[in-house]
Amino acid sequence: MSSTHADLAIATFAIDEIVEGTQTGRDGTTLIVSPPQLAVGAGEPALAEATVEVVRPGDRVRISNVCDAVVPDVRADDPSRTFPGPVGTADDHLGAEPVIHRLGGVCVLTSCDWEGAGYVGPDELPASIVDMAGPGRDRSPFGDTTNVVLRCVPAPGVPVGEADAAMRRAGATLARDLASATLGHTPDDRTLPVAFPDADPSLPAVCAIVQVASEGPLVDTFLDGAHLRDLRPRAIDPAWLYAGRITNGAYDWPGVRNVTAAYQEAAVIGALAAVHGTSLRFAGLILAPGYLDTASAKRASAEASAALAAAMGASGAVCTTFSSGNSHTDTMLTVRALERRGVATVAMVCETNGGLTDHVDEADCLISTGNEDELVDPWIPDRVIGGEAGARIGLATPTVNYLSGCTQLGNDVWTAVPA
Amino acid sequence: MQIPTVFITALPTIAQMVGANRVVRGVAITHPTGDPSLAAGDEAALRIRILERAADMLGTEVDPRTVWEVDA
Amino acid sequence: MRVVHYLNQFFAGFGAEEAAGHEPVRLEGPQGPGRAFAAAGLHVDVTIACGDDRFALDEAASLATLLAWIDEDAPDVVIAGPSFGSGRYGYACGVLAREVARRRIPVVLAMTPDSPGVLAAEGGAYIVPTGANVAAMRHTVPVMTGLALRLAAGETVGTAGDEGYLPRGLRVNVRADDDAATRAVGALVAKLGGRVTTEIAPPADRVSPPPPVPDLAHATVALVTEAGCVPQGNPDRLPTRHANVWLRYPLDGVASLSADGYETVHAGFDTTDANLDPNRLVPLDAARALVDAGRIGTLHEEFFTTSGVDTPVAVAARFGQEIAAEIRNAGVDAVILTGT
Repeated sequence: MSSTHADLAIATFAIDEIVEGTQTGRDGTTLIVSPPQLAVGAGEPALAEATVEVVRPGDRVRISNVCDAVVPDVRADDPSRTFPGPVGTADDHLGAEPVIHRLGGVCVLTSCDWEGAGYVGPDELPASIVDMAGPGRDRSPFGDTTNVVLRCVPAPGVPVGEADAAMRRAGATLARDLASATLGHTPDDRTLPVAFPDADPSLPAVCAIVQVASEGPLVDTFLDGAHLRDLRPRAIDPAWLYAGRITNGAYDWPGVRNVTAAYQEAAVIGALAAVHGTSLRFAGLILAPGYLDTASAKRASAEASAALAAAMGASGAVCTTFSSGNSHTDTMLTVRALERRGVATVAMVCETNGGLTDHVDEADCLISTGNEDELVDPWIPDRVIGGEAGARIGLATPTVNYLSGCTQLGNDVWTAVPA
Repeated sequence: MQIPTVFITALPTIAQMVGANRVVRGVAITHPTGDPSLAAGDEAALRIRILERAADMLGTEVDPRTVWEVDA
Repeated sequence: MRVVHYLNQFFAGFGAEEAAGHEPVRLEGPQGPGRAFAAAGLHVDVTIACGDDRFALDEAASLATLLAWIDEDAPDVVIAGPSFGSGRYGYACGVLAREVARRRIPVVLAMTPDSPGVLAAEGGAYIVPTGANVAAMRHTVPVMTGLALRLAAGETVGTAGDEGYLPRGLRVNVRADDDAATRAVGALVAKLGGRVTTEIAPPADRVSPPPPVPDLAHATVALVTEAGCVPQGNPDRLPTRHANVWLRYPLDGVASLSADGYETVHAGFDTTDANLDPNRLVPLDAARALVDAGRIGTLHEEFFTTSGVDTPVAVAARFGQEIAAEIRNAGVDAVILTGT
């Protein structure tokens, strides 16, 4: 059963360095950026400030108050459809031959000190950090990319949802404009078709269940820019992840929730695609809510995900997790509901110093994405971008405070082992 | 020496996870042994049924981490 | 080599239960069991001590005082206890050890494997397992000494199995060869083929179910709750979160928990419905009905309460052990526990 409607192609253009110039463009593996052309925040009335600067791996810089990470993408077939919702036009059908030009080695990071701007109280948003050097450099995957940092300050009195939408719009626009430097260029020979051709029906069918949480401004997840607070488990085309239709607006617990880049990279789909036709056949992708409030809502959602997986004919399911705390209960209940229907499960979860937050006996196959409590040695950078308040300068810092430090969507190699 | 304990809670998976062996599913987080949506007499009867289930469980040999529902 | 030793009020020589509220003190040289360590080859330079109740009830301030002394003394190793089977003493040793470990100072404890101190230490300490009472001192001191001397000298210590300390349960982050998604798909393919593997083992601290109550109609049952139910006005100021105490209130003559007489102070849920009828949290009226019907013999004439919000597992374990000791002494046969 093929469950993508669009054979989306992604062409990656590797970028090794970014230099400033008068005209944004690309020359081999060098990206030239023109700061005036990238003044994306200038037209946003909800933002008082929106500054752009480039930081590179090895710079003694800590980026703080990091909200999101976005991979520079542009729809080469129709740039106006890039990042549907925040920036581009949205449509369930991606088009006849959708092609994304993607920059490799570059990321847009958005940063905003929401507490400093008066939108949240102290300790409501944990510290969110990317280190470009020092002991914490490899804790975030973004310590290894050349980052174009968009630092925003909301305009006074603007409602938080508007300020956040403006920041997300500016960040997506910046990401698209950077990738647009490759329009008209021949892709490197790394064109990546994302397709699931018909496979041997005797292979076990495996689905992916991607958990997202959407709880309100600054803790939301979006589909085409609309929040997912009422999400019920639903089957979606995996191409939607690659195409930037699912974006992040959740800025708490940076180590364990999903940034937009993680959806764009969709490692769990790639891992299934790699063995589709040989070890298994891909049955489909389910988008499911996590962090539900009540025990009955959690049970109902877990049952709904399991029923959907069974209806897809799945004999196996890969479950991802969003954040920690009681979202782990959602993952475990989903695992239990699946196993009780005869669907074999594997789930990706992070750990704490006190062990697992929740567990069910049926969860016999777990992948660890690391111990979120492990401390990273203190560091004093030469510069901080994003604000020193909450930047934990000179303090030992738990892994959970590093952006995507323990991502449970499966994109990174960190794991935990017994000591 | 162990004291048999039955735990009435609306979050039985967490109870199981921390190792509670006798668990009766409670009504809700905010009222494990009650239901404000019922008339007073019905709620009192429900509470007695919950306790009877709990008493049954105290008198029953169980496998580790067992959850019982209260029959509606 | 500089060594600091933590003791409770009893082992420091201030008295037994009556001195459990003793403030933290700092003394030069070894005290009490500290002298046994000296005989074994580990000289204690400074002894710090605190009453077990004082630590339990005033944890933040007590801990800050003790840690300030440790920071000043800059020891090469800290030893605490042995606390054997003592819940409060073990808890204090464990919490202190957790913080000492965060300062990258090695710390050695000794207690029973089910002491709340094991959980409280969060893997930061080397904990020698002991029997429940002080008779185990003779065997414990040399093992602690051996570990402490080597740790203080910066030597590597072997695994728990080899060296005789409790597995630390630490999980350290490393970079795998493949990303988690690839490992997940690989594990699932293996599982579908009949081979189940996992990177995270199920939780290990299991207690097997006690045998059932043989004759409930003649048994005594106690009501316990973490729902924060207290007499109206919260006369003993049960904290709404981070509770470091459990409380007990009489039930004789009380047929049902009235809205006027009782309230809940739990900060973790909407208490509106519960305050209209506290039996929705502590089912006293229904428990009385079961006694009247002969289903239960008697109801223990007090209930036990705390508010289970942001309660560390180690603290909850200590509460459970303490309440269990109380009701065991009172002849209670079974417990009905309610939670939110």
